Amino acid sequence: MTAPTPTASGETPVGEGARGQALANAILNATLAALFVALFVQADSLPSSMWEPLGSGSFPRLVLAALVVFNLSILTQSLLTLRRPDCKAGAGAAAWFVQRRLAFATLAAFALYALSMPWLGFPLASLLFLAGVQWTLGARRGRRLAIALIVAAVFSLGLYWLFGEVFRISLPAGRLW
Amino acid sequence: MPMTTALLSSLDQLFTLATLLSMMIGVVAGVIAAAIPGFTVTMAIVLTLPVTFTMPPLQGVATMLAVYVGGCSGGLISAALLGIPGTPSSVATTFDAYPMARRGEPGRALALGIWASFFGALISALVLIVAAPPLAMIAVKLGPWEYFSLILFAVTVVASLVGKSVLKGLMMSLLGLFIATIGQDPMMGVPRFTFGLDLLASGLPFLVVLIGIFAVSQLAGEVENPAELQQNKALIQGRIRFEPFKVLREVLSRPGNLLRSSLVGVVIGAVPGAGGSIANLIAYDQAKRASKTPERFGTGIADGVVASESGNSATSGGGLIPMIALGIPGSAVDAVLMAALMVQGISVGPRLIMDNADLAYGIFLAMFLASAMVLVFCLLSMRWFLRITEIPKSIIVPVVLICCAVGALALNNRVTDLYLLIGIGLMGYLLAKLDYPLAPLVLGVILGPIAETNLRRALMANEDWTLFLTRPISLALLVLAVLSVAFTVRRALRQRGTE
Repeated sequence: MTAPTPTASGETPVGEGARGQALANAILNATLAALFVALFVQADSLPSSMWEPLGSGSFPRLVLAALVVFNLSILTQSLLTLRRPDCKAGAGAAAWFVQRRLAFATLAAFALYALSMPWLGFPLASLLFLAGVQWTLGARRGRRLAIALIVAAVFSLGLYWLFGEVFRISLPAGRLW
Repeated sequence: MPMTTALLSSLDQLFTLATLLSMMIGVVAGVIAAAIPGFTVTMAIVLTLPVTFTMPPLQGVATMLAVYVGGCSGGLISAALLGIPGTPSSVATTFDAYPMARRGEPGRALALGIWASFFGALISALVLIVAAPPLAMIAVKLGPWEYFSLILFAVTVVASLVGKSVLKGLMMSLLGLFIATIGQDPMMGVPRFTFGLDLLASGLPFLVVLIGIFAVSQLAGEVENPAELQQNKALIQGRIRFEPFKVLREVLSRPGNLLRSSLVGVVIGAVPGAGGSIANLIAYDQAKRASKTPERFGTGIADGVVASESGNSATSGGGLIPMIALGIPGSAVDAVLMAALMVQGISVGPRLIMDNADLAYGIFLAMFLASAMVLVFCLLSMRWFLRITEIPKSIIVPVVLICCAVGALALNNRVTDLYLLIGIGLMGYLLAKLDYPLAPLVLGVILGPIAETNLRRALMANEDWTLFLTRPISLALLVLAVLSVAFTVRRALRQRGTE
């Protein structure tokens, strides 16, 4: 993460791929604005208190109202960027996802790991996740594969033992066993 | 008890083999715990607490202080080497230390952080000894109006500090504040925006948000390039050098930045509830504003690392000020420290210095000693920590993801926190790809409940909204909040004008 010098407008940089980013920004902010308006309305039904002027829903409503204003501002900027003649299209959404397939595969494996943990338990789920992801990321044969398997065993069984026996924090053991 | 007698008695109790040994173990545990994404100083302190029950009071507190001071410095390691803040107080460290490390200077980034942390902790310990009671009196005079304005200031500072757009920064801060409202209302206990889901019933724990937003999204970003992974590339390429004594000169050549950032850390640390998560950002912001080359902040410069690390380390001493002088813990960690003393039958507050002067002075001295131990340990061990950067991405990414999962699980022992972690991680990854800064969101989540509680308390005490503008400290903070945004917008407009 870096902290580059901000621009006042938040304008999307124009050039290759700027069109896709502006479009994504526009869709995201339009969706968020609609969601926040719905939540703003829902927050109205939260109870108030006779002991304080602000009820349970006042602070969230204040924040949601400000959020909608910011969403609409970013949406407007994105739409203006899209209208600029120098705003060029990039490789397209499908190509964008394909380029980042390993990142999404890792996140998908992490999700699968979390979902399987209550059933398989921490040690087995972690072992499979670590071995599987390292294999996906390139540890396919020979020395790299052997190291990957050792790392998987150490960080799954080792952490389970460390937390259970030393810190007395029990990690899920699994419902299947 | 006369001061010299108390001081000598505390020295006698502190410099025993058992105390020094337990402090050294505490330092190592604190540094390692904070260096692992997902583990926090608070967790390490809580785990240390039962061990101290059998120790004499000063040894127990000194050990916990060692974990605390070690943890304040340990967050630097993952912030600099992985771009993942080990603790909320190292968020600003990622702004410059990580780019510096990625540029091929991880040793310099770590050494700068180590020295800045040491001097920050040292300055805060000095202030603790000299000015604890008067500072504490000022800190407790802050009412809910000032607290709310302080949070608003912190949120606007970080929104204008990071990212390419102030609008996006502010939007992310607000999104963080909104996420913090999910779950139980902090004052009435009413469930809000939970939609009947158990997953959201107790809200989104800030630690899960911190790990998800920074660690998961950052790690996913590391494995985007198949060619790099095929070549078994590590996080940082090239030969790594670690020359701490050369870097010491670099740190000492910035006395203004070091002193200003440390004092910001002490003052913010002394305000109960604010703590290191704000101090590092405000110290960074102040250093950027005082710099002749503010545009270089965020590109991997020494001033950024020095400001953040000295600022967050100084909060360790600052946080002790209200605890020792008034019996009010400044943060969760201070509350655990206070519990450790109370278990031993020692009352904390103004009477501590009167009834147990040797213990109070012992705590001050333990701060000094712990800082020195952290320095020695870090200087000796950093070469090993730097090896992390040589580990291929295909190994380090899944291993750190497992550590994140353990951190989320260990927090409340709930698998649902793991589901939240993944959802938040995916959201963070996509938002980062669209150039939305992530730090304001995390800060919003951390500070949201404090902001809401204080706003509601303020209006419960007096329904007059204008008090936010008529109370001098509150007004000053609100003016600073407006100025921080205006200053950034003006600078950006100027830059666009010259381009």
